[in-house]
Amino acid sequence: MSAPLLSVRGLGKRFGGLVALADVSFDVAEGETVGVMGANGAGKTTLFSLIAGNERPTTGRIEVDGRSTAGLSPDRVCRLGVGRTFQIVKPFPALTVRENLRTAAMFGRAAMPNAAVADRSTQPVLDALGLADAADQPAGTLTLSGQKRLEIARAVATGARVVLLDEVMAGLTPTEVAQMLETLRRLRASHGLTLLVIEHVMRALMDLCARIVVLHHGECIAIGTPDEIGADPRVLSAYLGSSA
Amino acid sequence: MSLLETLLSGQFLFAALVTGSLYALIALGLNLVYGTMRMLNVAHGDVVMLGAYGAYGAFALLGVSPIVAAPFVAALGGLVGYGLYRGVFRRLLASSTPASAGRLEANSLLLFFGLSILVQNIAALAFTPNTRSVASLSDVWHLGNVAMTGNRLVSLVVAGTTCIGVAWFLSRNIAGLAMRAVIERREAAFIVGVDVDRVQRTSFVLGFASAALAGALVSMLEQFSPFSGFPFTIAGFIVIILGGLGNVKAGLLAALLLGAIETYGVALTSANLRSVLLYGSFVGALLLFPNGLFARRAARR
Amino acid sequence: MRGLFASRVWTAALVSGFAVLAALPFVADDYSIGVGLALLMWLALTESWCVLSKMTGYVSLGSVVFYGLGATLVVVTWQKVPLWVAVPAAGLVAAAFAALVGGPVLRVRGPYFVILTYGLAELVKYSIIAAESAAGTASRILFGAPDLATIYFAMFALALAATLLLAWVSGSRFGHGLRSLRENEEAAETLGVPVVRYKLAAFVLSAAIPGMVGGVMALRSTYFVVGQVFDPMLSVTVIAMAVLGGGDDTRGPLLGVVFLALLSELLWARAPLLYMVLLGAILVVFVLLVPDGLVGLFDRSGRRRVAASKEAS
Repeated sequence: MSAPLLSVRGLGKRFGGLVALADVSFDVAEGETVGVMGANGAGKTTLFSLIAGNERPTTGRIEVDGRSTAGLSPDRVCRLGVGRTFQIVKPFPALTVRENLRTAAMFGRAAMPNAAVADRSTQPVLDALGLADAADQPAGTLTLSGQKRLEIARAVATGARVVLLDEVMAGLTPTEVAQMLETLRRLRASHGLTLLVIEHVMRALMDLCARIVVLHHGECIAIGTPDEIGADPRVLSAYLGSSA
Repeated sequence: MSLLETLLSGQFLFAALVTGSLYALIALGLNLVYGTMRMLNVAHGDVVMLGAYGAYGAFALLGVSPIVAAPFVAALGGLVGYGLYRGVFRRLLASSTPASAGRLEANSLLLFFGLSILVQNIAALAFTPNTRSVASLSDVWHLGNVAMTGNRLVSLVVAGTTCIGVAWFLSRNIAGLAMRAVIERREAAFIVGVDVDRVQRTSFVLGFASAALAGALVSMLEQFSPFSGFPFTIAGFIVIILGGLGNVKAGLLAALLLGAIETYGVALTSANLRSVLLYGSFVGALLLFPNGLFARRAARR
Repeated sequence: MRGLFASRVWTAALVSGFAVLAALPFVADDYSIGVGLALLMWLALTESWCVLSKMTGYVSLGSVVFYGLGATLVVVTWQKVPLWVAVPAAGLVAAAFAALVGGPVLRVRGPYFVILTYGLAELVKYSIIAAESAAGTASRILFGAPDLATIYFAMFALALAATLLLAWVSGSRFGHGLRSLRENEEAAETLGVPVVRYKLAAFVLSAAIPGMVGGVMALRSTYFVVGQVFDPMLSVTVIAMAVLGGGDDTRGPLLGVVFLALLSELLWARAPLLYMVLLGAILVVFVLLVPDGLVGLFDRSGRRRVAASKEAS
C-alpha cells in the first residue's frame, strides 16, 4: 500500500484556555474523498486551518506526501499541494474572476509562468464551475453562490493534489446541492483530486465520501464508512444525546 | 539629581500626574468616539486645540479665566459633536454593510486626516499660526517641598475627577453599561434592546465635550497653536492601544504611565527627547499590539 | 489593461510629457525650470509611494522618512564624499531602513499601519533632531552645490526610474501577487502568494527612489535644517496626489501630480495656508465621493461608452 497523501497524527490546537482540537489522527490516501463531520464548534474549520498552515498546531504532526508541514507558511503549504476554501468566502473583490484564478495558477503548485499561460490553464476550471460567463466581472459583484464556486475554482486552480472543501453546500437548495455534487464528482475525476470535505448536508457527505471522520468537542470519536458511522453508538449519542 | 532622587521626587510625580490626567481625559473622549464610529479619529486632538482657542477667546474677549470658561467650552464641544453625529455620521454608520464598512475603515483614516488638515489650517487662517497661552492661576501652592502652580493643580483635579466620574458612570450606571455594550458589540447591543442611536449620540457628545474640556485646561498649561492638536491625538492613541478599547479604567492607568514616561524620561535625559519619547512609545505600542485594539479579542471568533 | 503602460494613448502621452520636460532646461527660464523640477520630484515620490501603497493597500503616511534619511545622508557626507556616490548611497540608506523596520511594521494592518508610519517618521525626525542638537550641528550651511540644470537632470532620471519601476511592478507577476494580497491577504497567502516577502519587497522598493530624491533636493538650498526635510506635509501631499489620481498603475500619479503641482505653484508662495486648506479639502472630497480618483472617472466613462456601443450594435 502506498503512503497516504495526507497524514495527520496527534493533532491538537489550543487557543489560550480553549482546546479546539485534541489528539486527532487520520490518513487520506491519494484519490480518496474523506468527510469531516461534527457539530458547530467541534473543531472542523480549525482542522482545516492547521492543515493549510493558516494556524500552527499546539501538538501533533501533519504530513503532505511524506513531507512535514511544521513551520511552513500557508503559501508554502499550498505549493506542497494543498488547496483550501474558506467557509466565509474571501474573494479578491476588485479583481476579475479570471484574475482571481490567475493568482492561484501562478502562485500555487501549478506555478504558471505568466498571465497568458495561467489564464489558458484556468479556463477548464472556469467552465466546470459555471463561471465562464462571469470571467471578466469583478469578483465582488458575484452572487454568494458564485463566490462560493469561485472559492472552489481557486483552490483547484492552484494545481492542488488535496483540496479542503469547507461547507461548500451551505445555503444551497436541494437542486443546487445535486448540481454541486455532480460538479465536484467531475472535477475530482478530471483533476485526479483527493478531497477532504467538511459538510453539514448529510446527503452530500454520504454521497461523496468513502470514509468520514467524526469530531466532537475537538476529539475524533469515530472514523469509518458512511454506513459504519451511521450505526456507531458514539456518533449517535453525540448527535442525539442518548443511545437511540 | 540622581536617578533615585528623580524617581522619588514629589515634584516630578506631580508633573507626571498633571500630564497623565490630561492624557486620560483626551483618551477618554477618543475611546468614546472611536467606540461608536469604529474609525480612528485623528482629528480628535484638533478638537482639543479648538477648545484651547475657545478658552483663550473667552479670556481675551471677556476676561474670564479658563476654569470658568471650561464648562461652557465643554458644552460647546458637545454641541459640535451632536451636530456632527446628526449631520454626518448617523447616516454613514447606518448605511454601512460589512463589506463597505471594511473599505470605509481603511479610507476613513485619510478622510479624518484631510479633515484635520482642513481644521488646522482654517484655524491658522482665522487665528494666525502664532502660539498663545492663557496666563491664569499662576500663583504657587506648596505641599511639602513640592511647588504646584494653581493652574496645574486645578487641571489635575478637573481632569482627574472627570475621568474617574465617567469611569464610575460607565461601570455602574445602566446608561453607562449600555454605552460599553455598544462600544464592544453594536449589533448585539441592538438585539438586546439598547437604543443604539441614543447611546451613540451620547458617546459622541461626551467625547467631543471631554476633548474641548481638555483644551480649556491646556490653554492654561502650555503654549498652543493651530497645529498643537496632533501630538495630543497621538498621546490619546497610545493610551487606548495600551489600555484597550472601551476599557476606561485600564486607559486611566495607561495615561498615567505615559505621563510618567514623558516626565521622568525628560527629567532623566533632556527636554529634546520629549517628542522622541512620545513617538517612541507610540511606535512601540503599535508594534507590540499589531492588531491595534483587538489583540485582546483574538481568542474569540 | 494591466499591460506595461495600460494603453497606447497613455504611453504616447507619457513619452511626450517626458520629452517636454527633458527639453525644458534648454528653453525656459529658471522659474519654469523650478516648476518642472517640482513636478519631477513629486512624480518620483508619488510613483514610488504607489509601488507600496496602491499595490498592497498598505497606505503609508511616512514617505517623508525615506526622503529625509536620504537628504540627511547627503548633507552629513557633504564634501567628504563625491555626490555621485552620496546620492545613490542615500537611496541605499533609505532602502536599508525599510528593510530593517519593514518586518515588524508590516505586521500592523489597516488604519493602524497608516498612523504607525506617521509615528515612525516623526520618531526618526525627532531622534535626528536630538542627535544633531547634541552634536551641535543642528543646522548646516552647504557650499559648492551643483547648478540647477544638473539637479534638474538628476531628478529627471529619478522620475523616469520611478515611472518605469511602477509600470514594471504593475504589469508583473510580482504586481499581481501584490494586488491579490491587497484584496485579501489571508486568501492570497493560502493560494501560494508569499505575502510576507512580497510586502517587504514592495516596502523596500518604495524607499530607494525617495531616498535619492531627498538627497538631490538637499542640494537645492544652501541651508539645511533637519526639521524641514522630515516635514510630514510631504507625505500628506504625496497621498493627496495619489488619491486624486486614483488607480494602481502609472496613470494615477501622473494625473494627480500634474494637477496638484500646478495648483501648489499657483498658491504656495502667495497663500500657503489656503493651499493646505485646499489639500485637506481634496483629500476629504476624493476619499468620500471619488474613491477611485480621476483614473476611476476615466475608466467608468470608458466602460459606459463600451457598454453603450454594445447595446447599440
